[in-house]
Amino acid sequence: MREARLPLAEAPREGDVVLLDVGTQRVGLYRVEGTLYALANRCPHRGAPLCAGKVATPIVAGADGLELGREHSIVRCPWHKWEFEIATGRSLVDDRLRVRRYAVRVEDDAVVVSLDRPWA
Amino acid sequence: MLVDCDIHVGYETLADLLPYLDPPTRELVRHSGSNGLVMPSYPWNHPTGWIRQDLYDRRESHESNFEFMSLDVLRERHLDAYDVTLGIVEPDEAAAFSIIPNAQLAARLCSAYNDWLLERWLEEEPRLRGMIVVPAQYPEAAAREIERVGGRDEFVGVFLPGAARIPYGNPTYDPLWAAANELGLPVAVHTHYEGVGIAPPITAAGMPDTYAEYHTLCGSGMYGHFVSILCHGIFERFPDTRVAMVEGGLVPFVGLLWRLDTNWKACRSEIPWCRRRPSEYVWDHVRFATQPLESPDDPAQLIAAIEFLRPAETLMYASDFPHWDFDEPEQTLRQLPEAWRENVASRNAQQFFRLPALAVA
Repeated sequence: MREARLPLAEAPREGDVVLLDVGTQRVGLYRVEGTLYALANRCPHRGAPLCAGKVATPIVAGADGLELGREHSIVRCPWHKWEFEIATGRSLVDDRLRVRRYAVRVEDDAVVVSLDRPWA
Repeated sequence: MLVDCDIHVGYETLADLLPYLDPPTRELVRHSGSNGLVMPSYPWNHPTGWIRQDLYDRRESHESNFEFMSLDVLRERHLDAYDVTLGIVEPDEAAAFSIIPNAQLAARLCSAYNDWLLERWLEEEPRLRGMIVVPAQYPEAAAREIERVGGRDEFVGVFLPGAARIPYGNPTYDPLWAAANELGLPVAVHTHYEGVGIAPPITAAGMPDTYAEYHTLCGSGMYGHFVSILCHGIFERFPDTRVAMVEGGLVPFVGLLWRLDTNWKACRSEIPWCRRRPSEYVWDHVRFATQPLESPDDPAQLIAAIEFLRPAETLMYASDFPHWDFDEPEQTLRQLPEAWRENVASRNAQQFFRLPALAVA
């Protein structure tokens, strides 16, 4: 089975994660600025269960000191604390690493996560 | 062509600086203690002498730890003997000005030393260039000293000893970095006086008992500064800054960078101003002096161990003349792959210190 469905009412709020199984894959569903994203529950660094990590807001350097980036936009791996951007899967500390992402769509009152890669 | 990044010269006694000091400081230098002002020094003594014994006459030795070597000896036994195109002069005892408690006195001593160095050595010998000695414990005064003499061609950088009250990346030092950056002058951090004066113990293990231990561990302060400079984003905030690590070895920096790169990945949110992994700043901004070149029985092991440092681009030859662990140029370069030698002998230093082409023609 390449898809899993979840009632829209059970979709995560910002800052939360909802885990679901899609076929044999365990996937974490996140919401950033209203949009839902699905990431593989596997850190590309050392294979940790990434979705057990905290959702956080990145601290970035601004012109006048420290600033906060997009709210609840990263997930921090529970093992080595590497940070990944939820929307892109991109590692903040290693350009070569990305978390595998899955396609998410909303159909009627359900969230559908498929093992297809997302469009963007 | 040969550029030597680490030649030491020094005054015979502090009294040599008297003509370069303001009258009140002159009084202090003359009348402090029992026989005049003395600098704090190492609690360890080299068991057989700090400097090469073929370079001075022991019968003329005096109470100072650093035996006096004249400009004539430097010319004859080093600059001429090894056909040194350009030698960068680092201090001996004057490195201790940064670790005396009286920061204002330190600032005045530094100015006098720089004027003395300029008049007695740099203006006398066109093959020499100086590193500005500054009171690191007083960053505002250090900045003023850099601005005072840093525009002169005879000075090519700023000297900081490995011993310090706190690591050099700390924002306390911003005035110093800003001044060096403004003048485009590189900063050399050179092992000196760890565990002495206002500096903390040389390692967290406590004070070592012997000079052999000290000299094995003497890079510890430099390693602290190296990591501090990288983690405080000095190269982001002062983008023209270059830093040389002098006399701290090479192999330890490989391990430090591997650890730091890894820790940066985990702790990025603590130091977000480090936009790139720490080692990437090193390739652009940091250079390493060769002496004392680590010497495993099998030289190939050294080459393999330092490969990560991109040595063809980051190593600069240094002799440490006239100290006891002097590295002779040819023997040093011969231990390195031929493809690196020209860069290590002169090109890397020429770029790092921005030496005019004419000066090394």
